[in-house]
Amino acid sequence: MKSIMPLFLVPLLLGLSACNPLQLDGVVDPNNPSQASVENNATREQVQFLLTGLEATHRSYLVNICQAWNAFGRETWYLNASDPRFQTDWLGQAGRVPDRAYFGFGTTGGGSWAAPYQAIKQGDILIASANSSVLLSDAEKKAVAGFAKMIQGYQFMIPANFVYENGIRIDVKNPLKPGPFVKYEDALNHIKGILENADKDLAAAGTGAFPLRLTPGFASFNTLPALRQVNNAILARLNAYRKDWQGILSALNGSFMSLSGNLNAGPAHPYTGPPDAFNPLFYLPNAAVNTIIVVHPSMIDDATAGDTRVTRKFFKRNSPVVVTTDATPLSALFQDARWPTNTTPIPFIRNEELILLKAEAHANLNQTADAVAAINIIRNAAGIGNYTGATTSQALINEILYQRRYSLWAEPWGHRWIDARRYNKLSEIPTSYDKGTIFKQFPHPQAEVNWDKYIGG
Amino acid sequence: MKRKILSWSVLGIAFFLGMGQLKAQYRITGSIADERTGESLLFANIIIQNTTKGTVTDLEGKFILDIDDNNEVTLVVSSIGYLSQLVKAGPSNKVLDIKLREDATNLEEVVVTGLASSVKRSNLANAVGSVSAKELLGTTTIQTTDGALYGKVAGVTVRSNGGAPGGGLSIQLRGISSLAGASQPLIIIDGVYASNAYQRTGRASVSQAGASNQDDGANRLADINPADIENIEILKGPSAAAIYGTRANAGVIIITTKRGAEGKTRISFSQDIGDASPLRLLGTDVWSEAKINTFFPVARRAVELERFRAGSYIDYEDYFYNNQATLSNTRLTLSGGDEKTKFFISGNITSEGGTVKNTEFERYSVRANVDHKISRRIRVGFSSNFLRTDTDRGFTGNQNNAGASIGYNIAYVPSYFDLRPNAQGVYPVNPYFSENPVAVTDHGINNSLVNRFIQSFNLAADLYQDNSSNLKVTLSGGLDYLQNATKVYLPEFLQYQRAQANPGDILIGRQSSLNTNIQAALVYTKNLGKLNLTSQGGIVRLDFQNDALFTRGRGLVPGQTNLKQASVQEIESNSVSRISEAGIFVQQEANFDDKIIGTVGIRWDKSTLNGDANKLYAFPRASLALNLANFDFWSFGFINQFKPRIAYGETAGPVGFGNTFTSLGGANVGGLLGSVVSSQIGNTAILPETAKELEFGVDAGFFNNRLSVEATYYVKNTENNIQNLNLSPSTGVSSTPSNEAELENKGLELGLTATVFDAPKFRWISRVLYWRNRVLLTRLGIPTYIAGAFGSGLGTFLYAQGYAPTTIVGSPAVAANPGGFTFWGNNQPDFNMSFSNSFNILKNLELSVLVDWRQGGDNINLSAFLTDGGGTTKGWNDDANGDGIPNGRQRDPAPYNNAGRWVMDASFVKIREVGLYYTFPKSTLSGLLNGFFRGIKLGASANNLALFTDYFGYDPETSTFGAQAVANNVDIAPYPTPRRIFFHLNFDF
Repeated sequence: MKSIMPLFLVPLLLGLSACNPLQLDGVVDPNNPSQASVENNATREQVQFLLTGLEATHRSYLVNICQAWNAFGRETWYLNASDPRFQTDWLGQAGRVPDRAYFGFGTTGGGSWAAPYQAIKQGDILIASANSSVLLSDAEKKAVAGFAKMIQGYQFMIPANFVYENGIRIDVKNPLKPGPFVKYEDALNHIKGILENADKDLAAAGTGAFPLRLTPGFASFNTLPALRQVNNAILARLNAYRKDWQGILSALNGSFMSLSGNLNAGPAHPYTGPPDAFNPLFYLPNAAVNTIIVVHPSMIDDATAGDTRVTRKFFKRNSPVVVTTDATPLSALFQDARWPTNTTPIPFIRNEELILLKAEAHANLNQTADAVAAINIIRNAAGIGNYTGATTSQALINEILYQRRYSLWAEPWGHRWIDARRYNKLSEIPTSYDKGTIFKQFPHPQAEVNWDKYIGG
Repeated sequence: MKRKILSWSVLGIAFFLGMGQLKAQYRITGSIADERTGESLLFANIIIQNTTKGTVTDLEGKFILDIDDNNEVTLVVSSIGYLSQLVKAGPSNKVLDIKLREDATNLEEVVVTGLASSVKRSNLANAVGSVSAKELLGTTTIQTTDGALYGKVAGVTVRSNGGAPGGGLSIQLRGISSLAGASQPLIIIDGVYASNAYQRTGRASVSQAGASNQDDGANRLADINPADIENIEILKGPSAAAIYGTRANAGVIIITTKRGAEGKTRISFSQDIGDASPLRLLGTDVWSEAKINTFFPVARRAVELERFRAGSYIDYEDYFYNNQATLSNTRLTLSGGDEKTKFFISGNITSEGGTVKNTEFERYSVRANVDHKISRRIRVGFSSNFLRTDTDRGFTGNQNNAGASIGYNIAYVPSYFDLRPNAQGVYPVNPYFSENPVAVTDHGINNSLVNRFIQSFNLAADLYQDNSSNLKVTLSGGLDYLQNATKVYLPEFLQYQRAQANPGDILIGRQSSLNTNIQAALVYTKNLGKLNLTSQGGIVRLDFQNDALFTRGRGLVPGQTNLKQASVQEIESNSVSRISEAGIFVQQEANFDDKIIGTVGIRWDKSTLNGDANKLYAFPRASLALNLANFDFWSFGFINQFKPRIAYGETAGPVGFGNTFTSLGGANVGGLLGSVVSSQIGNTAILPETAKELEFGVDAGFFNNRLSVEATYYVKNTENNIQNLNLSPSTGVSSTPSNEAELENKGLELGLTATVFDAPKFRWISRVLYWRNRVLLTRLGIPTYIAGAFGSGLGTFLYAQGYAPTTIVGSPAVAANPGGFTFWGNNQPDFNMSFSNSFNILKNLELSVLVDWRQGGDNINLSAFLTDGGGTTKGWNDDANGDGIPNGRQRDPAPYNNAGRWVMDASFVKIREVGLYYTFPKSTLSGLLNGFFRGIKLGASANNLALFTDYFGYDPETSTFGAQAVANNVDIAPYPTPRRIFFHLNFDF
């Protein structure tokens, strides 16, 4: 039995071949712009978005540093009943020592290593994009480059302080060819170079308002001269780590330091709530939670009577927060009182620190009177009267370090840990309250070691 | 009247088929019946061997066949479920009384091999697993289709992630094919590429557990009504699945739903009613003043002692996990048709409660399958299915800070403190954790509502037909549209919420997904004497669209769940994906007298997911099977089948969407939006992961298939496995996807089926399956690393060349080991076995039992870590070594502070299914209501009846991260697995 093809199937098959089902149209990312789109001839709006992106990445380090480094320096404890490793691993209980993939940092070093370097990369992309744009004037390009370098200088200090003597990479422009690790001192000198270039660029950009929009974190600092002052403040902080005491003083001269002004003045990281984040250090007073940053008991025990910094910054709870761990339970009665709401910005460098840097520089240069004058500004603001102790360089430094503990308590930097380390006083940080140990520094994150093995081996 | 028309139509068909040579020389008549029961077999096939000419039996099991010459003929007589026979007939032997024997091993079953063709199982060169409707649901009622596959096919490892109602299982076929994906098979339902995606519910965001893989969601296979399924075929590896090309790396599961049959309309009504209770509870520790003084810090003891003296004993495990759960399933089906049109209509309502309060699963399904012969040569078929599932899975698993996980929370609450509300409905503040779990269970919502529509169509038209050849064109395709509305809600009056600046949290998700596919093929079959050739070629086009929008409100007006009633309104996430794929396939099958069967084929595929969207990748396949027992030289009469076979095939696994993009993310800061450089660099040269498998085995049948044995050994190598190449983080970018890794899976599958006892009043069929798989990372390409679970302190996974990627490592550090840590175990089992026995007693009573055994495989048991930390583990205060330190602080191995404490052997034996059914005999039915019922069946059954294991947890089968290729064995406060017991009632009219 033979049969022929039914006639109506012919148009069906022809129809199929008309719209070619084998033709695929490539898919463009439907959810995000591509990096390639800003690399050449970016518009002003695109550069603005990249700049805001730099402000966003400039803030990424904060949660990790505030939770971890302040615990390393025993300014706070980060009590977390959901995960005991916040206590056992970060306080070095039972002989735990930091390894290359330590809890809270992962294989990339997390907020203490990967995040600052992402901010640095964001800065590089921003500078390249602004410089290749035909729609920005030369002055505007310099303004953007200056701002970016200032942030990069700040961010480079974070991994440098994280691994300390192990050294960091400073040549990081090519993702497939990062440069070698350089010593801590050399890294700091490199940062000085970056901040000095930032100053040059900002100076060349003019004296008016910053040409692009900044977040409210820079509310009092959104003019080009004010940004130069912020840059110099960061340089002052850096010079303390470089032990360049004269350098501190010259940087402070160009900064926003004001001996009679508000001690809390300074640029900040903004937190405006969704779609932005909330202030991560905010906890409701007396919150019935078992995950909360608490004041380390030594801050209470070592306080000077009548210190207003204690009454202002430390809130006494009705009942302590207690967290049980393998080694020993931890109990704390005080929590952070500095943030009135969960949308309060967090300053990243303040006038108070600049005055203390001035004191420290004078003390190290044996300029006793100037040092004591600066110390007294801080002491009187805290309501504990003038300094009456010994005036040897060492005694003054001890006093300054003590005042820094309270003035710079739990700032997003880990001051106590870094200060104790640079003055060889890590052993003075108390471990009796938690049976832990104080870390000196962290090793390079595992991902860095792996990369070197990958290209080397 | 009807019967007359049908007899006439049978005659008509016979006449029509014989048209062209009107002289019939002699007529064969006969009847066909079941050998054991004597019942007539309707619609059995009788075909003249090596031709396409034949007929079917009528409603009385009788047939007529006219032969055009005076020669003898050999007839091939077959019927679904029975062993076919060759019967000689001739002018002197033209009245045949044929008895067919039931096929316990499904040799005659027809199995899909190409995209447009099928082959009898007895001729199959691959180890294709097959599960019939009876094997799927014949013993007990299973909630979701994947849960019905346990222990039924060798090489198929099904794993439950937790016991929450509504599914949540993962299926791994022959080990792991991908490190980046979840290695789940492709699911095809009636030719439609169905979605079995795990969609986000948002619970992990609200409970702050982490990413969506900790949502404890179910995959969309849970929507499908298992009772609609006629047959499931499982193509376990590339050697069988090659023809599916991309997406088939982890195997293919082909689901065919029931279709109508010619004849009187049959109506069937079933009702199952049952009860669920937890399969296993662990118990909690007893408190005493001595224990309080050991466990709590000094500052706390006074308060705790006071609470202890004032309080009573509350078993929180029992309170939360052991609640009444009623299970109900109602099914109504209509099936019927005539010679031109056949239909199958079904409706199903499933309503199953959970053993945790306020958790449940409801499914509504309506299906209409219609097949129609437009003309003698053109056949169309349509399948339409509307599904609606409403699932509440509760709050279990991991959490961080929000306290919204029952198990995590009660790990820290001693039994003497009462968390239940007082008479005014006020919940006490939980001093041991950040939230009151009773309040969360009573008032929290974790709901997922899915509406889904699956439509498939197929058209087959015979273009050319003669005595020895047939050319047909097939067109098929369909769509799978689903819309998933999720809601996770924690009201503002909860303890943790009141401690937040914006109390009350609601996360609403709207996800929709549309899969469409279309396939056109030409199939040419040719008979050359004893050689049958089938050639096919065609094209396939697939499109996938996904859209997701999640919005969150916090700081809610009391009692409100509308997002506009929130102080803080946030677009939590918004994403869109579009994927298109196209392919061409050709395949040639040759069958020489059912003795030598060979196939070669190739498929070319391209996909917009790959770096080069228009590059075609080729996936060849070849197979050969030799039915030695059909050869003339075969002299072993007792071996009726001996088929060595070998098969090779290649498939691919898709690249993740977005792997080629280097994008700028959006970040909000200070009221502005920033474009942020992504930490992942796209790889525009990325290739799909490819798998190559060589499989060989032997199928043998003894004593006319009374005993049959199947053995298969396979080697499956995957290459270009996508791994994130981790860059130096100091460059500001952390990774780029790269095709660096290679995996090797080697395994063995054995099956033995025997009709142990076969007498009219008692029949016992037993089947034993054994399978095991060994996976090895043969190439990593990037530096050795550890990843997964919760870090080296608690147990994580090692990715190192020469080791299985499922190797569990953890503290203490051992510098000499790759990865730098101690080896503690491996999450792949040593082997799996299943034992299935069914007994038919006195013809009407049927008992079946399925036992599933998994030996080996370790879990990372962090539930024990939590309960030890909270002092509530049963036996916490005992002191096994008498050194004064309680066991809860001193878990082996010494020195009691490493990851080895939590890595535990998860071997188990489970009695998966037990069912006892009584079918009313026909004689009783004919007397009842004048023969109104065609069939009545009563039964009782159990699912997950018993668990035998040394593992210290609710169920050794658990995964807090859901379906994962590697990290699928982490146990954190899961929803306890239920034991389900049912009573069944089924009426056929």
